[in-house]
Formats: sequence, C-alpha cells, structure tokens
Amino acid sequence: MLRHKWIPDERRLILMIEAIGLKKVFSEFVAVDNLSFQVNQGEIYGLLGPNGSGKSTTMRMLLGLLRPTEGTAKVMGHDIITEIVEAKRLMGYVPEEPVLPERLTGWEYANYVSDIWKIPRGSEREKELDELLTLLDIKDASDDLIETYSKGMSRKISLVAALIHQPKVLILDELQAGIDPRGAATIKEILNGLRSKGASILMSTHILEIAEQLCDRIGIIKDGKMVAEGSMDELRLQAKGEKSLEEIFLDLTGGPDMQKIAEYLGDVV
Amino acid sequence: MTLSDLWVLLKQDLTQSYRVSGAKGKRTKQKSVFRRLLLPIAAVVIGVVIVWVIVAVVPLVGWDTLGTILSDNIGAGSSLFNVLLLFSFIGSIMVSATTVGNSSKMEYLMTMPISLRTLFLEKTIIVILYSSVFFLVIGTPIFIGLSITSTAPLAFLSVPLFVAMMLVISTLGVSIGGLMGLLFSRILAGRRRLKQVGWFLGSTLAVFGSIIYYYFFFASNGLGDLFPILIQIASALGLTSGISPGAATSTLSLGFLVGAPVTISEVVLALIYGVVAISLVNLNAYVSETAHYSGWLTSGSKRTSKTKTPVLHETWNPRPIPGFTFNTATSVSIWYNLTNIRREGRVLAQYLVGPLRFVAIIFLGLFAGGDIVAGYTSFIVIAVIVPFVISYAVSFAGYELVYEGRNLMNLQLAPLSMYDYVMGKIYSSAPFALVASTIVSIIVAIIAPSLWIYIPVVIVSAVCINQAAGGIAANAAAIGGDFRAERLVTRQRGAQVQMPIRGWSMLRAQLLPNLIGFTGLSIIMGLGVFFGPLFAYVVLVPFGLICLSLSRHYARSAGRKLTQKEASDYL
Repeated sequence: MLRHKWIPDERRLILMIEAIGLKKVFSEFVAVDNLSFQVNQGEIYGLLGPNGSGKSTTMRMLLGLLRPTEGTAKVMGHDIITEIVEAKRLMGYVPEEPVLPERLTGWEYANYVSDIWKIPRGSEREKELDELLTLLDIKDASDDLIETYSKGMSRKISLVAALIHQPKVLILDELQAGIDPRGAATIKEILNGLRSKGASILMSTHILEIAEQLCDRIGIIKDGKMVAEGSMDELRLQAKGEKSLEEIFLDLTGGPDMQKIAEYLGDVV
Repeated sequence: MTLSDLWVLLKQDLTQSYRVSGAKGKRTKQKSVFRRLLLPIAAVVIGVVIVWVIVAVVPLVGWDTLGTILSDNIGAGSSLFNVLLLFSFIGSIMVSATTVGNSSKMEYLMTMPISLRTLFLEKTIIVILYSSVFFLVIGTPIFIGLSITSTAPLAFLSVPLFVAMMLVISTLGVSIGGLMGLLFSRILAGRRRLKQVGWFLGSTLAVFGSIIYYYFFFASNGLGDLFPILIQIASALGLTSGISPGAATSTLSLGFLVGAPVTISEVVLALIYGVVAISLVNLNAYVSETAHYSGWLTSGSKRTSKTKTPVLHETWNPRPIPGFTFNTATSVSIWYNLTNIRREGRVLAQYLVGPLRFVAIIFLGLFAGGDIVAGYTSFIVIAVIVPFVISYAVSFAGYELVYEGRNLMNLQLAPLSMYDYVMGKIYSSAPFALVASTIVSIIVAIIAPSLWIYIPVVIVSAVCINQAAGGIAANAAAIGGDFRAERLVTRQRGAQVQMPIRGWSMLRAQLLPNLIGFTGLSIIMGLGVFFGPLFAYVVLVPFGLICLSLSRHYARSAGRKLTQKEASDYL
C-alpha cells in the first residue's frame, strides 16, 4: 500500500500550519478577515463555512496562489510570503475545480508532476504511481487524455499528483464532492492512514458527516472570520448542548429562514 | 529559479503540443500521427528543400557574385533584422498580460515547488520560440546552404550566430512588448468599460492592419512593395543605426558568411544585446508575478464587486430590438446574444469589423484587375454587402449558438420552442446588417449618385440575405458545431484553436448563403439597370420572401436538431 516514508518523532508538537491574522481584500470586499489558526502534526483540520465565506481564499493564500493583504502564515516554519517555494515543497493540494493539462494522459501528467517534484525516474516511481492509480480506480483510464476525464476522475488524478511526493501537509478543497462512494471511502482511508503516519491535512467540505468523522479539529468561518474552533467536544461545549456538527454549524452561520421557505412553498403549492 | 525546473516545464509544454506517441480514450479526441507531426515534418522538409535549392543554384550564379552582393548589403540586412524585431514586438504586446490573465489555467503548476517567476518565464520563452520559429525555419537553412557554398573559412559560424541572434531579437521584441502590455493593463486595472473600449479599438486596428497587408499582397508588385516601406519606417525610427540589434545580427551572421572582418566592438555589442535580452525577459517574468499577485489582470467576469450592496433591479422586460415585440423565447434569445457579445470588446470587434478581412481578400483581388473592373466599382461596393451580412449571420446565429454550450441543457429542459430561440439568434444580427447595408448604400450614392434609387432595395435585400444566412448558419451549427468549444477571448500563443463549427458544416454555413446572396442581388440589380428600377422593386418582393422562408425552414431544422442533441455532445 501507500508508503508514506516521513514518520515523525514527536507527534502533535510540531506546528505544521500557522495562520497569523490572515486578511485578503479584493477591491473593497474583505474575503478573509484577520484569520488565525494552527494545524498540528498528525492532525486533520476541517475548515467549514458557507459558500463565499473565505475557505478557498484562505487555502489559496497558504499555497502562495494569492498574497495576503495583511498577516502571514507559516508552513512548518516557512513563511508563505518570503519562503513560498520551500513551503510549497512540503504541501500537496487538490483544488475544488482542478484545471489540468488536457492534452496529457493521466499517466503522463502523473510522471510530469513527479519530474517537477524531482522524484527519481525508474521502476520504484512507476510502481508507486501504479499503486496510487490502481488504488483510486483510474488505472484503466491512465492512458486516456485528461480532457476526456469526468469531474470525479479529474479530482482523483489531482489527488495522485498531490500524493506523489508524500507531502507533509495536504490541502484539500472539497475533495469528496463528485467522487463515487467507493472512491470516497478509499480517500477517507488514505487520509486516516496519512494522519497516522504524521502528515497534517487541512480540508474544506460541505459534507458535515465527513468532517465529523474525519477531523480532529474544526474551524468554522463566516464572512471571512473565524466564528468557532476546536474539536467536536469543544464545539459542543461552546454550543452548550449535545448537538450534531450540522446543528452547531447552522447555529453559528445561520440556518434556513423557515418563514421564507413556508412563504415560497405556499406560493408554489 | 533553477534551470532544471525551467527545462521540465519547457519539455512538457513542447511535448504537449507536438506529442509523438498517441493517447487512448475517445476516438473523437484523438489526432493521427500525421496531424500531430505535420508542422515539424513540414519544417524539416522546407529546410531540406531550401538547402538543396541553394546548394544547386549558387554555383550557377557563382559565389563571388553572391558574396559581393551580400557584402554590399550588410546594412540592408540590419534593417531587415530590425523589422523582424519590430514584428515580434508588435505581435507580443498583450502576450504577458494574456498569460497572467490566464494564470488560473495553470493553477496545478502554481502550487508546485516552483516560483511563479519561473512559470511566467517559461511561458514567455515558449512565446519567444513561437515568435521566432518561422524566421528560424526559413532563415537557418538559408544560412546552412550559403555557408556550404561560401568560400569564407569560418562561414559555418554564421549558422549558430544567426540562430542565437534571431533568438536575441525575438527575446527583445517579446519582452519589451510584454512589458508594454503589462503597463497598459496596470493603467487600465479596474477600469472595465475603458478596457473594453480599448480592446474594441485595438482589435479593430488589427483588422485594418491585416487589410493593409492584403492590399500589399494584391498590389501589382506584391509584398515586394511592403519591405521598402517597412525599411523606411525602420529608418524613421532609427532602427537602421549601426548599433541596433539588427545591425549586430547582420554584421555577425552575414559577416562570417562572406568572410568580412568582424571587430571586437561588434562582438561586444552582440553580447550586450544578449545580456539585455536575458535581463528583460527576467524583468518580464518578475512584473508578471507582481501583476498576478496584484490582481490587475483578473478578467471582468471574475472580479469581485467593490461592494456587496444589493442592486435594486428594474422590472425584467428587455426589449432587445427597439420597436419590435417578440415572444418571450425569441426576446430572451436576442437579449442573451447581444449581451454576451457586447460585454467583450474583442468579440464585438471581431464580429462587426472582422468581416472586412474577407471582403478585402475577395474584392482587393478584383480591384487588382485594374481598368477592366473600374466601370463596375459601384456595383462591386454593393456586392461587398453580401459577405458582410453573411458573416454577421454566421457569427450571431452560428458561432453564438455553439457557444451556448452547456446552456443547451437548460434550454432543452425549459418549456420553450427551440425554433423560437434559434430565431432570436438570427434576428439579433439583423440590426447590424441594417446598419452595414445603410453605410454601404450611402457610399454607393456618393460614388454613383444615379444609383440612389436602389438604396432601399440594397438595404432590404441585405437584411433578407442576412436572415436566410442566419437560418442556414444555425442549421449548420446544429449539425457540425462543437458545443464544447470555449470562446477563447484571451488565447495564449500556441494554445489550441477550437473552431466552433467544423469542416463541412462551416462550408455549408458559407456557401449556400453566398450563392443566394450574390445571385439574388445580381438579378435584382441587373433587372433594375437593364429594365428600370421598378423591376428591381418587383423582384425584391419574391426574393425577400424566399430568404425569409429559407430562414424559417432552416431555423426549424436547427431547432429540431438542438432539441434532440444528446447531453454528451455539450457537457
């Protein structure tokens, strides 16, 4: 199976991601506002929030795709502004909507990414890629052009590319969306396995059951601000009651407007 | 930045464009080995032919004669190389801005352990290669051939020197052009309307530029007339000076070829240009990175609104063509078409002014006939309207129907008549056909005042031809349109061209309307001129009815085909 070689000595002591007062302003619109959080070693951290709350923008800042307007972040001590290449070397990323080189086949893309990561060519690398492709059920399509891939397959090949170099920090933006149940279960197992081997994972998802099952800690953001953070138990404590994550989430970010729904249904029926 | 990163990126970009091994998967997505390798094979064949011809011909002329001509024209060579520099500069003004604007398409690379500067540098190098490849493919074999026949001892050195200096020239042109484009985009950042006006004017100027090119092409001396003018322009800009990049290229490459003495100062000058080129291309990458992080180039549709203040909408009742009332499906189709097109200045310019290119190709050729056609000028001007209005129809009803793409699913699911929707597309080009034909009619009335009586005939015929062409183009689009083709407003150099309507269908969209248009208009005008204007008006009625009937017939056919289209065709 997956040979994640990096095994830490002292778990949960190393700070893998440290966001310090991150702020991103587009024109006059504040997308992320003074956001601070930490992800420890061997931890899965779930970033939850409604659409447009700033989750993807936060992830993009950590990856160096966007530059923060204020604040900074560190990935294993490497500043994302001054040492972004070193920081990126430690990370793997699967975007919500992967944009991939369509004129390459899956196999070529995986090899190309391996070359960029400077993974030595040879049978060992090929075996590793083969295993990943088989594990994620895209081995049979690996000689097809990426432009013929479905959304789920594109996400899977992106995950292969993100795992090739055995990252210490994995950033996953809505990974499970559009992936079949078998694929989703496989990914869940992979993520659990990586965590147990000491990797840290920052993930965003709208599927709260997944967050509840997988995440060690959860940060809920709304309008770019952190409104709650902690483990499930800590969140329940903050919510003062034995509530599910969905109930806590809706309490904090605003639930459905029942009156308007009733009005709408009344109009329609 | 490391050279190995740069090499990996370059290799991938080039192998993606010229892949030797095929790929499995859907047959429709595959390309034959011949199609994949056509360009490289053609380049090699052209190169071999050029070398062979030179080696065969030069001994007949005698190297001494040719060598003397070349030695005497090293100065002219400077001007020519400087003109190539000018070409590469003009052709690259928006290159860097486009690359940064399209950066979301290489997000998968941007998250890898490579600096963004290296990524932008690699994209610029690709553009430099594309910019110089034509001149290298033609020029390198010329220098190889000449150096084989040359009697100068170091003649072979002229080949690598030509290649290196050609790359330096391209690098200078592309880098300076790229920096200019980034500067413009900085000035225009956030000014969306001004930017669109700029794009419209720029694209229009580009169309006129290509018409001037065609003019020289069709002029009696062909492109031979063009170079003296370009060299004059180059002189006026000071590009013939002895210290210009072209001069350095000419002195070194031609100098070694003919065995002329090369001084240290000329070598130093060439080295300085090499260093300047490398510095500028790096500066370009640095400014591109800054532009990416600053968000100057975020496209209009992706920019976040300045404020989140809710907008109070007026009651929804778009009247796309003032004075006309259509049913809801047709009305919304016209509105959607016009809104889509007018929001992008480049598309609007291509659609409205672009047809001038076809007109130039057809009619400059005719005018090249000289006195023979001189007496028919006003009729030729009238005939110009036919390809114009057909081009509008193909763009508005053909291309735009294809660019509906995934929206076709919404249309298929909605309780609307697809025929009405297609008719909306066809109607949307009518106002433009009306304006264009009115302008042409006014021009004709000025050239030949006796023809003013035919102005209404020309205008009505033009609109009717446009409507018939719209129906035919919509049907052709429904048959052979690539409904997954994206409108590439900011196509990067070297990126694939996705034609919205393919092969035979495109021919179908153009041939029949042109046949109907030219035949109809010729009959109408012919009857008018030979039997009197009344006859023209009498024939206009059945002609107009035939055109409108054809429009409806083909629109209905297009509607049926679109209704039956499978989701796999557009998703």
